[in-house]
Amino acid sequence: MKTTYRIDFAEELKKCVRCGECRASCPIFSESKREPDSPRGRLALVKLLQDGKIEASAELSEKLYGCLLCKTCAVNCPSGVITDEIVVGVRDYLEDVLDKNIVKRALLKGFLTRPALLQASFSLVKLYQKTGLNDVLTRSKLIDHLPETMSAGAKILPDVSKRPARGRIPEVVKPYGEKRFRVAYFLGCATNLIYPDVAVTGVDVLARHGCEVITPAIQCCGMPHLAYGDTDTMVQMAKNNMKVLLETQADAIVTDCSSCSATLAESYQKLFEPGTDEYNQAIELSSKVYDLSKFLMEKTGVQPGPNPVNVVVTYHDPCHLKRGQNVFKQPRELLKAIPGVEFREMKEADRCCGSAGSFSIMHHELSMKVLERKISNIITAKAEVVATSCPTCTMQLSYGMKCHGLSGQVVHPVQLLAKTYSKIKN
Amino acid sequence: MSKQSKLVEDMQALLGAEKVISSKLERYTYTYDSSFLSQLNEYYPDVVVCPMSTEDVQKIMRYAYQHEIPVTPRGAGSGQTGGSVAVKGGIVLDLSGWTDIVEIDESNMQVVVRPGIVHADLNVALSPYGLFFPPDPGSSKMATIGGMVGNNASGLRAVKFGNTGQYVLGLEVVLPDGEVMKTGGLHSRALKSVSGINLTSLYVGSEGTLGVITQIRLKILPKPPVRGILLTLFSSLDDAAATVLEVFKNGIIPSGIEILDDSGIKAANKFQPDLKLPEAEAALFFEVTGSKAAVDFEGQQVKEIAEKRASSVEWATDAQRMAKLWQGRAVIGAASARVKVGSTRIFCGEDVCFPMARVPEALRRIKEIGAKHNTLVVIYGHIGDGNMHTAPIIDPLKPEEVEAAHRVADDIHQLALELEGTTTGEHGVGFTRSQFMEAEHGKALEIMRIIKDAIDPKGIMNPGKIWAER
Repeated sequence: MKTTYRIDFAEELKKCVRCGECRASCPIFSESKREPDSPRGRLALVKLLQDGKIEASAELSEKLYGCLLCKTCAVNCPSGVITDEIVVGVRDYLEDVLDKNIVKRALLKGFLTRPALLQASFSLVKLYQKTGLNDVLTRSKLIDHLPETMSAGAKILPDVSKRPARGRIPEVVKPYGEKRFRVAYFLGCATNLIYPDVAVTGVDVLARHGCEVITPAIQCCGMPHLAYGDTDTMVQMAKNNMKVLLETQADAIVTDCSSCSATLAESYQKLFEPGTDEYNQAIELSSKVYDLSKFLMEKTGVQPGPNPVNVVVTYHDPCHLKRGQNVFKQPRELLKAIPGVEFREMKEADRCCGSAGSFSIMHHELSMKVLERKISNIITAKAEVVATSCPTCTMQLSYGMKCHGLSGQVVHPVQLLAKTYSKIKN
Repeated sequence: MSKQSKLVEDMQALLGAEKVISSKLERYTYTYDSSFLSQLNEYYPDVVVCPMSTEDVQKIMRYAYQHEIPVTPRGAGSGQTGGSVAVKGGIVLDLSGWTDIVEIDESNMQVVVRPGIVHADLNVALSPYGLFFPPDPGSSKMATIGGMVGNNASGLRAVKFGNTGQYVLGLEVVLPDGEVMKTGGLHSRALKSVSGINLTSLYVGSEGTLGVITQIRLKILPKPPVRGILLTLFSSLDDAAATVLEVFKNGIIPSGIEILDDSGIKAANKFQPDLKLPEAEAALFFEVTGSKAAVDFEGQQVKEIAEKRASSVEWATDAQRMAKLWQGRAVIGAASARVKVGSTRIFCGEDVCFPMARVPEALRRIKEIGAKHNTLVVIYGHIGDGNMHTAPIIDPLKPEEVEAAHRVADDIHQLALELEGTTTGEHGVGFTRSQFMEAEHGKALEIMRIIKDAIDPKGIMNPGKIWAER
């Protein structure tokens, strides 16, 4: 199978000994309890495809799009099978060989007939249109399937009418004191549009820690395109982003979004042949990419302000941060460094919340079951605030908490840190 | 309409479409378990059904009996002998979604469960009561209790706590014709019984060939309050084996005694680098459980015995370190795949069991068999009861390596019989060992067949397992 996303299917697939250990950790399998929905089941089907025993089909596509790409199976696999990457690779292949309408129709099976889901999906489409990611859905013809009478009321999406962060953040923000680092802030689409306050706060906090912050005009990191197998578009975005980001000559590229940092640091290098200029750029970029909490903990050191934040906080690990980048201590350390914060670990803090980008729309019922377990753990932790480092996790958790009548907020760790400072600069 | 389509339609009518898996693509995911042989063949079931009640199973069995359709019960499909693979097609019963705990009877120290509950999940549920189900398979996180009963599984703690069969007090079984039977007494909550012929024991380890187990009453034990693990390293396999024997001679029965050979140590370190096991020819893990005084005393005794031969000894009582050590050993079955780049571990000839006194000889001979066929064989397992796991590491894309692995498996099975052991200590026969059954059992195999024919006269229950084709 020829794909842009570099993966040696034969070598990776033969590592699977079919022990079934992945059944124990997969959030999707734990809800469905059916082997075709397990990582082992998906790998077996990919092996059939790789061996030429089956053709690419809508049904196969549907199975592979039933994966959250949460990496839980991969990090727990005794044999070292990188199932999520194999799934990404096959989606890339399917995008090339299948009629795209067939693929997406399969995705939408059982979804277009449900008004509640349609209603929710409208908001997602609206978001995607705003983010400039609409080509994913436009090309998929999803938009054509949405009835005009659909209500504009959002279910999962919060109000997206806030002024985007781009435009609110100056192109260059000077450090409060002496300049210690030059930082390029990678402003992700979801943060920019849905949670602009996170970016505004993040940039300000960096400036308070001696960073000169520039916010370059980048494109989407490409994660949604990668997840939908549209690597051709992603390659163009990656080339553009690498050029723009490296030209800033920043010491570090920092983002508040775990999906963006994972894509920049890990996925770009999988798109280019080793030895090419682009590959070398991707490697160079990777070495400079930081999650915001990690940068603050490891590079600047956290300096909270004098005002205590008297709340009980728990933390939800985004999949792409914990399992994708091994970043899980830093956000917790940051929270614990905030005066007044009582940190309380929740059970299964690193279990996927079921958001996974648009998974919560495309596989709504399944996603809600996965979310239910997370919310139950949040309730047990009796925390007033849930902190997390991913806008789509924030969206999903906020929705789950709202459904359960919980009043607690979901915030980025840096938003709590910001509360410790006096509101007047310096 | 094809026969297969008719079967699917009838199952949907009987159970509802949501409990029926029919597409060829999805059915493919039921053609395998961990056994290498099941991955070389494609044994498609005609339909997969997911029953959620005894009545569901009865409906399926009545239909199958009437139409003489093979039925293969299946749990997690984590077995290693093809036991849950439908070699004759027909119906696969995926019981892994039927996970109910019917009752935890704390005061009578027993639990009643449905077959699909996963071993680790059961013990999580029992933990608040201070109770546990002691058998501890390496596949604890995915293996179902139904599968454990069907194969009489054991695992890492069999030395002290024995195998699954020792804990099964009674079963609800749907017979091949759809009738329901309860073994161990219709209403009994007794912890032991010699009332009548022991049908519970007959069904334990029968691998789904005599009916479908739909409910299980298990004896459970108080969870030992304290635990310690002694990790010992040896420069020779013989020294490791001699240490085990000396521990027993001193009247100590640890709850588990596990071994990793040099390759197994490497694999464990590759899977969990922070384990930091030193290089050695063999590593032994002694698990001691009980009261604090007993654990301290026995741990010290085992340590002193081990120090006579060991190159390194570590006594761990920290919960995190113990969990890492035990987990590192438990997953080595699959983690062995990491020991050689470009190769993987396959499951064939993997759970032979030797008499304790002949374990050192067995370990040497297994190494020789690997060398003879130019195949790396990782050795690990339950040395405390002679149950050794042997993992051929091959590139499955190279036919010559596959062929060599088959020869390794044959020789290892033959070795087990030659050394007065058995071809399978805990994984079962399935279809991967059936060719050795006659040599192992002689006349007894014939009697087993007579029992099978009496209970399942149409031969619909899991055909092609235990007995080689006639």
